[in-house]
Amino acid sequence: MSCSHAHTSTRAAVHSATVVSNERIAEGVGVLTMDAGNLATQIAPGQFVHLRVAEGIDPLLRRPFSVHRVSGSRIEVLYQVLGRGTRLMSEWEGGHATDLIGPLGCGWRIPNRVEHALLVAGGLGAAPLGMLAEELAAEGTAITVALGAPSADRLVARDLFEANARRVEVATDDGSDGHRGFVTAVTEALLASGDFDVAYVCGPEVMARIVAAQCASAGVSCQVSLERLMACGIGACLSCVVSTTSGRKRACYDGPVFDAEEVLWDASEIPPRH
Amino acid sequence: MTHAVDMRVSIGALQLRNPVMTASGTFASGREYADFVDLARLGAVVTKGVSLTPWEGNASPRIAETPAGILNSIGLQNPGVEAFIERDLAWLSTIDVPVIVNVSGHSVAEYAAVVRRLEEDGRAHAYEINISCPNVDEGGMTFGTACAPAAEVVAACRAETDRTLIAKLSPNVTDVTEIARAVVDAGADAVSLINTLLGMSVDIDSFRPRLARVVGGLSGPAIKPVALRMVWQTAGAVDVPVIGMGGIMDASDAVEFMLAGASAVALGTANFVDPDATVRVVDGLGEFCRLRGIGRVASLTGALVAGDNASEVDA
Repeated sequence: MSCSHAHTSTRAAVHSATVVSNERIAEGVGVLTMDAGNLATQIAPGQFVHLRVAEGIDPLLRRPFSVHRVSGSRIEVLYQVLGRGTRLMSEWEGGHATDLIGPLGCGWRIPNRVEHALLVAGGLGAAPLGMLAEELAAEGTAITVALGAPSADRLVARDLFEANARRVEVATDDGSDGHRGFVTAVTEALLASGDFDVAYVCGPEVMARIVAAQCASAGVSCQVSLERLMACGIGACLSCVVSTTSGRKRACYDGPVFDAEEVLWDASEIPPRH
Repeated sequence: MTHAVDMRVSIGALQLRNPVMTASGTFASGREYADFVDLARLGAVVTKGVSLTPWEGNASPRIAETPAGILNSIGLQNPGVEAFIERDLAWLSTIDVPVIVNVSGHSVAEYAAVVRRLEEDGRAHAYEINISCPNVDEGGMTFGTACAPAAEVVAACRAETDRTLIAKLSPNVTDVTEIARAVVDAGADAVSLINTLLGMSVDIDSFRPRLARVVGGLSGPAIKPVALRMVWQTAGAVDVPVIGMGGIMDASDAVEFMLAGASAVALGTANFVDPDATVRVVDGLGEFCRLRGIGRVASLTGALVAGDNASEVDA
């Protein structure tokens, strides 16, 4: 199971975390590696952690981050410097102590028999797909990745995907690497080849919506990881709702991964900022 | 030998094992917090607002972070009283903790109908009447910002129950003590305050408001001084217990509210940052009293030592 609350063996808890490294990996993007003790072994692909970014009362709220990779007791999260919280994070050095809540949310669902999976990442949407790529590859599943970014210097996690995927197709808006244009042109061509069992999608909501529609046309089951502003992160405050065919659901608790079919895209919000 | 501090407090007929509650809307019905908190250690769980029928709540974005605070415009999204009883109250009533159900409505009749239905069920220990939500167009704050409608809602609910009735007051008024007197005259056994302060935030990159509904309720440490002032004014104006809230993050904040006149306190936004904030405050309040040789936490209530000019500031 990929939900922390769907079984009783792994309950969400507050865990101490110590920064191991904090590196800039692309324009405005950092990868933060933390030692989080036994939390690292409890995270399933697509789940997230709710990270304390300030010691005092300002900025007040934790910040949610999908776990990009785990290794031993370490977890990696990707972040883009967008606001006060992520700016503070970008200044952290090795040894910095903080805490995080996890594991949280429902991650990617992996059907019983997947022979070929399509992973679609737009920009920082690569974050929740890293662990998934590693886990699928370890199970012997063939992976194709469509990776998009505005420009070559903002491509994220290309090495990880190339190490685990049969094929990685890159698209940049300005053509500085791979196909010129949006990644949705790449996915359209890939889906036309027709041998995918499932698509896993994360990125700007407009991209996710288009890929979801392409998958629906191609008859490929599609899951999307959605981002919302969150307060509690544990399902209580109803800040992060997503409009679905069965009412408003919580991105933090019922998601962040949703079946694309159930998402009502028209009700989507303007992009969140940290 | 050190004697244990007596942490018990009373709110009307309701006996609480300690003065620390949850603030409505920040704790759902407790279930999501059970991984982090032994709910039986709390003074009471105050549930999210419950209405007669399901409410969808407002469009997203519903929150915006502001300096030392949060603006929210959730809009009382809830599944309605029947689903609440079936899913939430049924679970919560298995826990050894007093349950205070927060009641919302679009009309006086709806408030009363929710209390009536909960009385039929019989598992709620008390009711908090929400006449102060700033995020709905009908009901909520529209009832709580004038004396007559505030009193009318409380009187209608009073007619449905003998259990402890708490009126939750809005800070978005000129004189909170007038509203407090009106709801007490209408039969409220206690008042709780403050609900959120109406506020707004703008994104200068997009030229858009940061909340879909444009305005929302401000909570968190940013509002604590305002909350404290209103609790102090209200405690001096009515003879019923006051439940104080607004930006309480730790035990010292809670002590401030009790000294200003609160008989109990509630934590709201703090739960979002530290899901176990409530039990930390329970422990911290006990420790505060123990270190000072205070035998009963209830003796903190209204123990503020104010100077001779204090009454001039009032009103």
